Amino acid sequence: MSVQQTPAADGGSHFVVNARPADAPRSSLSSPLVGWALGGLALLLAFGLLTQLYTGQVRTVTTIYMFVGLASAWNLIGGFTGYACFGQVGFFGLGGYTTAVLMTHGGVSFWLALPLSAALGGAFAALVGWPLLRLKGHYFAVATLGVAEGLREVVINLPELTGGGGGISIPTAVGKAPTPWLGNDGFYMLFLLLAAACVAVAGVLIRVRAGYGLRAIHQDEDAAAAIGIHVTRAKLAAFAGSAALTAAIGSAYAFQQVTIFPERLFDVHLTVLMVVMVVIGGAGSVIGPVVGAVAIAFASEWLRQRLPQGHAFALGLLIVLAVILMPQGFRHYVGDVLRERRFSLLDNVRRYRL
Amino acid sequence: MFGLIAVGFSLVWGVMHIVNLSHGAFVLLGAYLAWQLNVYFGLDPFLGMLPAGLALFALGYGLQRGLINLVVNAPIFITLLLTFGLELLLVNGLILVFTADYRAIPTSYAAHSLILPGDVRVPFGRLLAAVLAIGVTALLGYVFKRTRTGLAILATGMDRGAARLMGISARHVYALTYGLAAGLAGAAGAAVGAVSTFSPADAGRFTLFSFVAAVLGGLGNTSGALLGGLLLGLVEAWGGQLLPGTLINAVAFGVLVVVLAVRPQGLAGKAFYASRVEV
Repeated sequence: MSVQQTPAADGGSHFVVNARPADAPRSSLSSPLVGWALGGLALLLAFGLLTQLYTGQVRTVTTIYMFVGLASAWNLIGGFTGYACFGQVGFFGLGGYTTAVLMTHGGVSFWLALPLSAALGGAFAALVGWPLLRLKGHYFAVATLGVAEGLREVVINLPELTGGGGGISIPTAVGKAPTPWLGNDGFYMLFLLLAAACVAVAGVLIRVRAGYGLRAIHQDEDAAAAIGIHVTRAKLAAFAGSAALTAAIGSAYAFQQVTIFPERLFDVHLTVLMVVMVVIGGAGSVIGPVVGAVAIAFASEWLRQRLPQGHAFALGLLIVLAVILMPQGFRHYVGDVLRERRFSLLDNVRRYRL
Repeated sequence: MFGLIAVGFSLVWGVMHIVNLSHGAFVLLGAYLAWQLNVYFGLDPFLGMLPAGLALFALGYGLQRGLINLVVNAPIFITLLLTFGLELLLVNGLILVFTADYRAIPTSYAAHSLILPGDVRVPFGRLLAAVLAIGVTALLGYVFKRTRTGLAILATGMDRGAARLMGISARHVYALTYGLAAGLAGAAGAAVGAVSTFSPADAGRFTLFSFVAAVLGGLGNTSGALLGGLLLGLVEAWGGQLLPGTLINAVAFGVLVVVLAVRPQGLAGKAFYASRVEV
């Protein structure tokens, strides 16, 4: 199938991010073994990188890993399944606050709180996903946004448990702390491993039956149901898995920050950033969210240092340009170039033009 | 007044399927424009609604024609990202030009209250804003029901292919719609400046608000959006007194989610666009 046929030219299928057939020709780069080998190599290099950075850079790179993990987790529901979840930050905040509350009030070790937070995030997603995953498109997007905002308000209004709007501090003083603070290097490792786990989940999912099922749902849900995919179960699993990973990262983030505030842990901009990263990198692929997250997080940090006044302005300009020139995402642009030898960015612009 | 913001948002959503994240930024642009006019020419902010609306209409028309039309056939994420990028551009542009300070447009009468029997006080400014909002929405309803342009917008929203076959230029109509929405936002922004304070950081709040109001009223249903906006305003005002803290927001979002799950066509009830919204 050629690329000209794939875009949604009829304007009807608004939710087909990556309308290519699942058996699109594979370049040698995407063959599974090479992919895993490169991934492992990247992981090793990332560990090695730690020795080459000074403290400030370690924090920056840690943040980049966090976004790699978040973008990959969002990609499970948003990219593979094609459900535009705009409440992802709700699971992030839920994970963070679960960990904070458990460690502060329950004296639970961080290593127990992390999986508990992930489990709670997944369970909560399954609970709200049951009714909400019946909605489609914009309706699902707004409903999940509402869930995240609602969660934030609940957290603000439970001051005995969560400290309310004033925030909550996880005890880190020696002797009182359930788990000593991990230090910059420790969190570097932690976020790196979490990000690697998220990417690995996507890497497995893109090759197995369940993953094909999700992508079938993305392209045509009725057809997917007709060929025997249990649509509700598959969507719930993807949603819960995505939420659990996000909650785990939120949990680690809360411990890293020590003091957390609802405004920060439920910041809508975080959700939008995840979406931006996935779409710019290439939704529905393994490497796309990684590329997008690294590029955006790095560009954001670089601009912040060069243009302290206008960095957000420049970031906005960058996003607008990227969306216009590369609407299918970097990963799919490269794929198209390799397959068809057409490099022109103007072709991209023509693709979705009215 | 909040209803007016939501009406434009709902319009863009209904006709073009675009979640316009930059909507709040347009409101602020309108507010700052009215503020500038007030500072330099002493123009009354409620009169300033007209130039603010016109300027924003021009800006919106240009944006849609030159930029958003390029990706309008793309999936939801793409248009959403584009408007998010625009929002970043506009809001941070405003911060660069006007700084992040809170501003307000002072008028001699807005703070005075009309005292009704039963010790009810209605500030003139808010009363005027509400009357204007309802008037503009009624005018909009007339335009959509009676004029060729309005009908063309509706037709394009219902079925773009068929509308083009009828000789309607979809590019022009889309730009017109977006311009209209931006113009409404700008006019509402001028009114916001008159009755309360504003700063560039408020953009997100306005966008979120119009989101919720548009959903409550039914997507793409303009009078429903006005209703949703009024309802939301009332609930926030009264609930704020009855419930502790900001718990009312949690209730509002809870209602939103339930409404979506049970009755996606909105409280106003007419399944106007909802019947065809998504495949």
